[in-house]
Amino acid sequence: MVNRARVALDLDAIFAALAHPIRRAIIEQLSGGDATVSELAEPHKVSLPAISKHLRVLEGAGLLRVEPEGRVRRCQIDAAPLSAVFGWLTRYRVLWDDRFARLAKHLEDQK
Amino acid sequence: MESQTSNEKELRIVRVFDAPRERVWKAWTDPEQVKSWWGPRSFTAPFAKIDLRVGGKYLYCMRSSDGKDYWSTGVFREIVPLQRIVATDSFADEKGNVVPATHYGMSPDLPLEFVITVTFEEYQGKTRLTLTHKGFPSGRDSEMAPQAWNESFDKLAETLE
Repeated sequence: MVNRARVALDLDAIFAALAHPIRRAIIEQLSGGDATVSELAEPHKVSLPAISKHLRVLEGAGLLRVEPEGRVRRCQIDAAPLSAVFGWLTRYRVLWDDRFARLAKHLEDQK
Repeated sequence: MESQTSNEKELRIVRVFDAPRERVWKAWTDPEQVKSWWGPRSFTAPFAKIDLRVGGKYLYCMRSSDGKDYWSTGVFREIVPLQRIVATDSFADEKGNVVPATHYGMSPDLPLEFVITVTFEEYQGKTRLTLTHKGFPSGRDSEMAPQAWNESFDKLAETLE
């Protein structure tokens, strides 16, 4: 949940990653839910390789996870590093979000 | 939050779970079930003990992927079966003694005791769960965040020079 040393090291990468309007837009888009690479590219007038490059920057900063799903790649925001930059409220929100995701899965598995 | 006289902040999260209320209540109050979801991503929850009565205590342990244990405890203040739980929430040692957040290397700003309220409502055959987590210090984590921000702004300034 809290790892100070790592947080300090990651900050530069996080800020650099957020220092581009398209990457901020991607983070915002992913806050609403997972998306594929082409879904993420859609609102922007740039090529897929250009979007992929932005995604790699976000991934490198630990803000994004990309998982192959058949032939497409599905992207998911990882809010944990962001939460470290912000206050306790955000950090605990991430904690509870994680727990609730687990709880939902637990209830699903019980069926 | 607005009604509080102190500077404290609260966190409020509403989530709908696709399961009947009884099952969500059970998942929250049966220690064996708590162990399967209490640990956030990349954590496990190897220990959970619950004495579900007003004045009773709980003790949970979360274990990080690198094996560090974070214990938490609290006292139930209010229990309305299938509807509502109010409990305190504190950092603890493995014996269940309350410890300050600094015990785990966290900010001294964090209180010794949070108050967590969970309500369970039936909602179209599903369960709407509302969690409030009260007692957060106002402002950012004063020990760490400003420093972190400053460091990164310094770096940013350097790159812009």
